[in-house]
Parts: sequence; structure tokens; C-alpha cells
Amino acid sequence: MDYPANPFAWALLSTVLTLMAGLVLYVTRLNLRLRHSKRVLENEIGERCRAEEKLAENENRLRQIIASEPECVKLQTLDGILLEMNPAGLALLEAGQPGDIIGTSVYDMVAPEFRDEYRALTERVFAGESGVMEFQIVSLKGRRCWMETHAVPLRDGRDNVIALLGITRDITARKHAEDEVRLHYRELAHAARVNTMGEMASGLAHELNQPLAAIANYSRGCLRRIRSGGGTVEDLTQAIEQVCQQAERAGGIISSLRRFVGKEDSPHRTQDLHAIVREAMLIAGPEVKLHQVNVRLSLAPGMPHVLGHAIQIEQVVLNLVRNAIEAMGNVPPERRYLTLRTYVAEGKAVVEVRDTGSGLAREMQSRIFEPFFTTKSAGMGMGLPICRSIVEAHGGALISLSNPNGDGLTFRFTLCLATEEEIDGWTTNRFRD
Amino acid sequence: MAGQQTVFVIDDDQAVRESLHWLLESVGHRVCGYSSAREFLNVYDGTTPGCLVLDVRIPGMSGLELQNHLLERDWCLPVIIVTGHGDVPMAVRAMKAGAIDFLQKPYNDQALLDRIQLALELCRQRRHSHRELARIQANYRQLTPREREVAAHVVAGKANKVIAIKLGLSPKTIEVHRANVMFKMHVNSLSELVQVWMRMETPATNEASPFS
Repeated sequence: MDYPANPFAWALLSTVLTLMAGLVLYVTRLNLRLRHSKRVLENEIGERCRAEEKLAENENRLRQIIASEPECVKLQTLDGILLEMNPAGLALLEAGQPGDIIGTSVYDMVAPEFRDEYRALTERVFAGESGVMEFQIVSLKGRRCWMETHAVPLRDGRDNVIALLGITRDITARKHAEDEVRLHYRELAHAARVNTMGEMASGLAHELNQPLAAIANYSRGCLRRIRSGGGTVEDLTQAIEQVCQQAERAGGIISSLRRFVGKEDSPHRTQDLHAIVREAMLIAGPEVKLHQVNVRLSLAPGMPHVLGHAIQIEQVVLNLVRNAIEAMGNVPPERRYLTLRTYVAEGKAVVEVRDTGSGLAREMQSRIFEPFFTTKSAGMGMGLPICRSIVEAHGGALISLSNPNGDGLTFRFTLCLATEEEIDGWTTNRFRD
Repeated sequence: MAGQQTVFVIDDDQAVRESLHWLLESVGHRVCGYSSAREFLNVYDGTTPGCLVLDVRIPGMSGLELQNHLLERDWCLPVIIVTGHGDVPMAVRAMKAGAIDFLQKPYNDQALLDRIQLALELCRQRRHSHRELARIQANYRQLTPREREVAAHVVAGKANKVIAIKLGLSPKTIEVHRANVMFKMHVNSLSELVQVWMRMETPATNEASPFS
């Protein structure tokens, strides 16, 4: 090879060589860095893949859980449009496939009488609250079922509520069982009322005969005066006014008795406790009189309304009053005091019936609420157990206490007070019957 | 409170009491009403004749107890029981305690008025026979022990001679005693003497009941 003799050429050559060497070095380093980057990227990709796999696995697991969840799980919009529903939900609504109902309105499936309430619940959920509700639906095949739903808001990443997540279960069987229990309990309570009336019949017949006898006497007296030409118009008018009054008195007795033994119960709603107590005392009147019992009523002024069935509460009061009268049979009349007291304690209405009878030993007291246990010769032993179930069905409690000075017993029961809205006429769902 | 016959009404029900008052007044009865047996006993002293219309189920002292009170005090006030309900055992007890009748409320007014009429009549008779008895007893107290002895034998149907032998006296003396007995007892014949004697021995039952 020819070596250039020109020193310039040498210089150029060496520069080129240096540059080439530098380039090689640079490329090598670049290559190394690229390799490193590739490794990092490969790692990252691998991790991401694993994460994605895991995510998919998680989602799959969740889907499986939701799909195999025996309760209905659904997502719906504010307008009630169904976004998603699991197979249990589809089965509940008797839909063949998701396409049958996804995209339609849930409201159409809620039984008409519950629609407003359901809509209100949906609105509350979209406002960020959660709620529970019992309602009836009509399935695609027209079957009515009782449902209980727990609804919560489903939020996106920016905390906006995007759907209602509802978990709903079929409570038809429970409802039927409840109805059956309620029916039995009501029939038992009714039977007890009829029984009470039977026991009181003779006294009540007497009570009813009083106004009838008075009416007969007044009218016969009028007739005799008219026929004989005696008696002034003023006298006769007064007598006839008495006749009217006595007829009203008899009517009043009959209507309160008919109400008491009637099967048709008043609805569970807000009640004036004192009116109920007075009504019970009216029916107990003949027995109170016959047994020469001194009655003291101490009714708390301004007592708020209570929640319940008027007749059943009256039945409890009457039962306790009659027990008290009977318990005082062995003490002289001047020491027979029946005290009926009402007051409010710990957010509940309290009714106390206190007698001055011979009392009851502690071990007996624990047994008087047992069915068929009785201390009376003619008793069935069902009065107090029924009273206790009535009170408990009303969310209260019935207990017996020995009086502090040792004479006689006090029976005390509690009832739930009605809230402001309930007094305004709103009835809660759980007491619907 | 003596004199005019009065219907005493005891009923705890004011309306019943006042209406009975109104009814009984229409036929001219004098009526007094009481709400309890105790209230009646506080004012009644046994002098006023009449009858009692009593509700069997009055509070406090029962009708039965009141009837016993009347018997104990020998007040011949006939009792008519009224009740609001056909309570047979109570009716039986009331009748045994001397009630003259038992009416169920609401009763036919004529039935009640008839019973009251009879009761008042019975009261009159009872009072009359009471007075009679008192008179006979007063006469009897006038007799000497010997005269009483002789009278007892005479009433037993014994002849003067038999009595004389029995008492160890002469028939003449017996005759005098016998004449004194007839005079003091205000009777004219042996049969009359027997009658008043019987009347005296069985004072309570010897009255004609208009209900028998």
C-alpha cells in the first residue's frame, strides 16, 4: 500500500482513524444502553402482563362470585334502567336471559303500590345515602314476591355516583310465616277478648239493662200521664230528654263492647293512650262497682301518642285491671285501691296497674307469665301470657313487681311513642297489615 | 218519717232511680230513692209503711244483707227484688231471705206496679197483724198466773171439772177464772179464745200472704 508522503494526508488519516475509533466507542456504549433499556422494558412488560393477568383473574373471580351469589345483585341508573344483573337476579325475575331485562326499567317490575317509595329510595342513593326497603315485585311471568333490598351508591374515580348497587333477596317465605304468626296471634288475642267478655257478660248485661230500664220507666211514666191528662208539657219534655240520653248511653255501651269483641282490629297506628285507658275502665266499670274497688287514675298530662292497635292495648289494660280487682277479693273493701298510672320514661310510654291485694311470692311471680299457670280457681292461665305477647309485639315489655310496702302487685308495661311524622299520619312499612 | 205509704227505691244507678220515681209518681205513689243500702238504713227508722224496690247488685252492703237487717229489726217492709240479669242463684237466696217477688230489668211496668200494689197491701196487713198481736199480748199480760194456767187448759179442750181436779180447785173457782180470762182477752167464745191463743203462739207465720 502506498503511504502518502504528504504529512497532511497523515494528519487526515490519523484524524479519521481517531474519529472512527470514537464512533466505535460511542456506538458500543449506545448499544449497551439500548440493551439495558430493552431489559428494563422487557421487565416492565412482563410485570404489566402479570398485573393484567392478575387483574383479569381478580375480575373473573369477582364475576364468578357475583354470578354464583344466591341473592340478586344489580346495577341501575337514576331512571331505573337496569345496567347489570347476576343470574340469581334473572332467576328471581324469571327472565330467560339477560337481554330480556337489561336496559329496561326496574320500576316496571316493582308492584305499583311500592313504586313511589322505591323511586324515593333510588333518589336517596344517588344523593349519596344507602337504604333498606321491603317491597313486592311482579316477575316477568306475573308472580308476586316479597323482596328486601339493600341499596348503596356506586361511585367512579371522581367520587360521582354512577349507579345504584342493589342486593335484593326474596323474603316471601319469611313474610308468609310472619303473616301466619300474626294471624295466629291475632286470633288468640281475639279469642281471649271473647273469653273476657264471656266472663264479664253478667255484669255487662246489668250495665246495659240500666239505661233500658230507665228508658222503659220514663216512657211508661209519660204514657200514663198523657192518658190520665196529668203532667205538664215541661215535665213530659224533661222525661223524654232523659229517654234520649239513656238511649245514647245504651248505644255507647253496645258500640264499645262490639268494638272490643270484634275481630276487625284497628290498624297499627298512633293512638291516644289515655282514651284507650278510659275505654278499658268503662268496660271494667261494673266489676269495679260490684267489688267496691276504689280507683285512682293518675294519667300524665300531655302524654304523647303511642304506636299500636287500640283494641289490643285496651285488652291488656282491661286484663290487668280485672286481675287487680280479683287480687283484692280477700282484703276489706276500704283497703281495695286500684291505681292506674301513666308516664314517660326512657323514650317509652309506661302504664302501671297497681293493686293493694295480698301480693305474690317472688317464685310465683316468675311463673305467672307461663301459659296455663294460674293462681285462680276458675282461671285458664292464658290472660297474662297473651298480654305479654301483645305488649312484646308492640315493641314493649310487661313485668310484675311487688309493691315496696309489701301490699299487692304492680304490673308495668311499656309502649313505643309515636314520632312526629307518625302522628301526622305516616305509617311505617314494617307494621303494614 | 211516719204516715203515708212510701215506695223506697234502692239502686246505685241514678237514671234508674229517677226514672222509677217518675213512673211510680204517675200512679200517685210517694217515692224515696237511695243509692245504697247504707244510705237507706241511715234514714229509715221503721215507722213509715211501704215497700222496698231493691236492685240485687247494689254496691256496698248487698241486697241480701239489707234483707237480713230488716228481719233482725222486725221491720215488716216487703221487698221486691229487681235485677238487670237473670241471676238465678241470687234470686233464690233473695226469695229465701223473704223477698216477695223478683223482677228482671227491663220489666213490664204494669207487672211492677201490680207487685208494688200487692207489697203495699201486704205491708198494711203485716202492720195490722202486728198491732193485733201487740194487743193480744197486752191482754195476756193482764192475766194472773192462775188465770194463764186455767186458760191453757181451756184452750187444750179440757172440761172445767177436769181442770178443777188437775189444779186441785173447785169447779166454781175454775169458772170464775175462766170468765176473767174471757173478759181480759176480749173474746166472747171458746173458739175466739183458741184463735187468739194460736195467733200468739205463732206470731210470725200467722199472716195471710196475698202471693200464696
